[in-house]
Amino acid sequence: MEEIVNVEAVSRRFPLDNFPTHHPAHSFVSALTEASLCVVAGEFLAIAGPSGSGKTTLLNLIGCIDQPTTGRILVDGVDTSTLKPNGMSKLRREKIGFVFQTFNLIPVFTAAENVEYPLLIQGVDSRERSERVADALSSVGLSARANQRPDLLSGGERQRVAVARAIVGRPALVLADEPTANLDTQNATQLIDLMHGLNRRLGLTFIFSTHDARLLEHTERIVRLCDGKIVSDETKEGGSRG
Amino acid sequence: MGKFLLLAFRNIFRNRRRTLMTLMMVGGGVAGLLLAGGYFAFMTHGLRESTINDGLGHIQIFTADHFNRDEVRVLDTGIDNWRQVAATVRTGGHVRGVAPRIEFYGMVSNGTKATGFMGSAVDPNAEKSLGFISRVVAGRDLDAKPSGEVEALIGTGLAKSMNVKVGDGLTLLAMTSDGALNGVDVEIVGIVNLGIAEMDARYLRITLPAAQRLLQSDRVTNLVVGLDATENTDEVAAELAPRLHGLPQQLVLKKWIDLATYYKQVSAMFNGIFLFMGVIVFFMVLMSSVNTLLMSMFERTREIGTMLAMGTPRAWIVALLMLEAILLGAIGAAVGVAAGNLLGALLNASGLHMPPPPGYTASIPFRVLHVPAQMIGSSLLVIVSLALASILPAIRASRLQIAEALAHV
Repeated sequence: MEEIVNVEAVSRRFPLDNFPTHHPAHSFVSALTEASLCVVAGEFLAIAGPSGSGKTTLLNLIGCIDQPTTGRILVDGVDTSTLKPNGMSKLRREKIGFVFQTFNLIPVFTAAENVEYPLLIQGVDSRERSERVADALSSVGLSARANQRPDLLSGGERQRVAVARAIVGRPALVLADEPTANLDTQNATQLIDLMHGLNRRLGLTFIFSTHDARLLEHTERIVRLCDGKIVSDETKEGGSRG
Repeated sequence: MGKFLLLAFRNIFRNRRRTLMTLMMVGGGVAGLLLAGGYFAFMTHGLRESTINDGLGHIQIFTADHFNRDEVRVLDTGIDNWRQVAATVRTGGHVRGVAPRIEFYGMVSNGTKATGFMGSAVDPNAEKSLGFISRVVAGRDLDAKPSGEVEALIGTGLAKSMNVKVGDGLTLLAMTSDGALNGVDVEIVGIVNLGIAEMDARYLRITLPAAQRLLQSDRVTNLVVGLDATENTDEVAAELAPRLHGLPQQLVLKKWIDLATYYKQVSAMFNGIFLFMGVIVFFMVLMSSVNTLLMSMFERTREIGTMLAMGTPRAWIVALLMLEAILLGAIGAAVGVAAGNLLGALLNASGLHMPPPPGYTASIPFRVLHVPAQMIGSSLLVIVSLALASILPAIRASRLQIAEALAHV
């Protein structure tokens, strides 16, 4: 199977002061310690753990919006530690889709325009953009709400727009950081089912984080974090990969 | 690009109250500039036309040696075939008429007292046909009839110092071209107020034949050309210059702007005040907009972080924020131009009058001209000001740490 993400002994420390790292008074907090993880194409993977366990840090590192203190991460075969900021930006634009806990839609854009945005920055031409936006909205069941602005959509609908925005660019990987945290149980379950359906139908690789144990029932593989360390990596069949 | 522009446009109206305040400030600045600039334009336009109609004319023709002349024997460097020159000039387009003049100096005596004068000899008919106005405050203007040859107009200051009034006689003395002292007697038919005390203390006007008799020459010092419109001056001057070169005497022409020293000083003063006001508006918009745009940027930190996370190039973020500021400036400028023109029209219709300036007795109407160049200039000023104000917020936005921006509350 094709390897999409390879996290190799990655640590992330955040400084607690303004001293340089070699200064004796320098202090820091470890958000992630020696984490290693391999994700293959088409997987539907959950990163579970309590608040402060390092889930968001790990997703940020995989999503190239933060850089590890030590270790390296390969995304679709590209060693992200070798990339300059513009290269990281390009990698995110072309290979990764994001779903955020607070939806993070552009409030002055309609649902369709929000979904269109990633294609806009990829330089996709207007006609193709229209087709792909329509497909993406249809795949999340929101074709009828295409012209509504986010403030007129429910929380569940907003997050489905965010999912459509994440998949419209046909990324190699979709990262969702606590996508259900602001949704009620019913909407949360529906969203996970939607993401799972897209994973199966389109073969998209999904990595999402959650601290809601009920949602993990819908997931084939669960990586558990505690205090910045991967404590387990299990598949639904009961196998362990860690 | 269209969607990007749409995004920038919609972002402007997110916080409507703040946008309204910014638009009022920008629009107010532009409207203020247009009102002040329009009034200055009216004043300078009025001064230009009054300067020309007071006798300066649109173009004056001199001999090439005139500006190196001996002020005692002024006609040594005068135009000798001036009727032929005047006829040549009259054949050109836009020319309303040509008035010959002799500008000369001499002594004036009332029998008991003598003083120096600065004389101007004119053809009254030619002056009237060009619409040149004598500011007569007592008596009447010069007469073109043969009896007018002994008539004179004198300045209020000269009349006072010589202790004379309308109907009194004076003797004029001046040096002829041969170097002899010659004199003529004249009767004062009118007293004029030029509005400038130094001029009024020396000014004297007689008819052209009287001056030629006094100076023993049929030459004139200059020809004053009047046109149908001031705007045609450059065109006529360009057309006239080569035709004058074909005449026996070497002649030069001067446009009104080359001779209107007072007009240039006043115009430069108004331009300086307008520029100063422009600088104030520029910095007022710049300073207040930096704060507004920074606030707007901070409020959208998470959204900008999201855009960066999705792979938006940082240059696009800079461009977006600058585009928003430029659009805001453009809308503000449009509001300001509309408000300025509307207020100007209302003021023009109100019939307001300003107190008379020094040297004038009549009040002058308060009018605001609508000057397209000022509208464009003021608009560009605020647009540039807002664009500059957006640089700091735009750069800050583009340098946001994505992970921190996404966690921003």
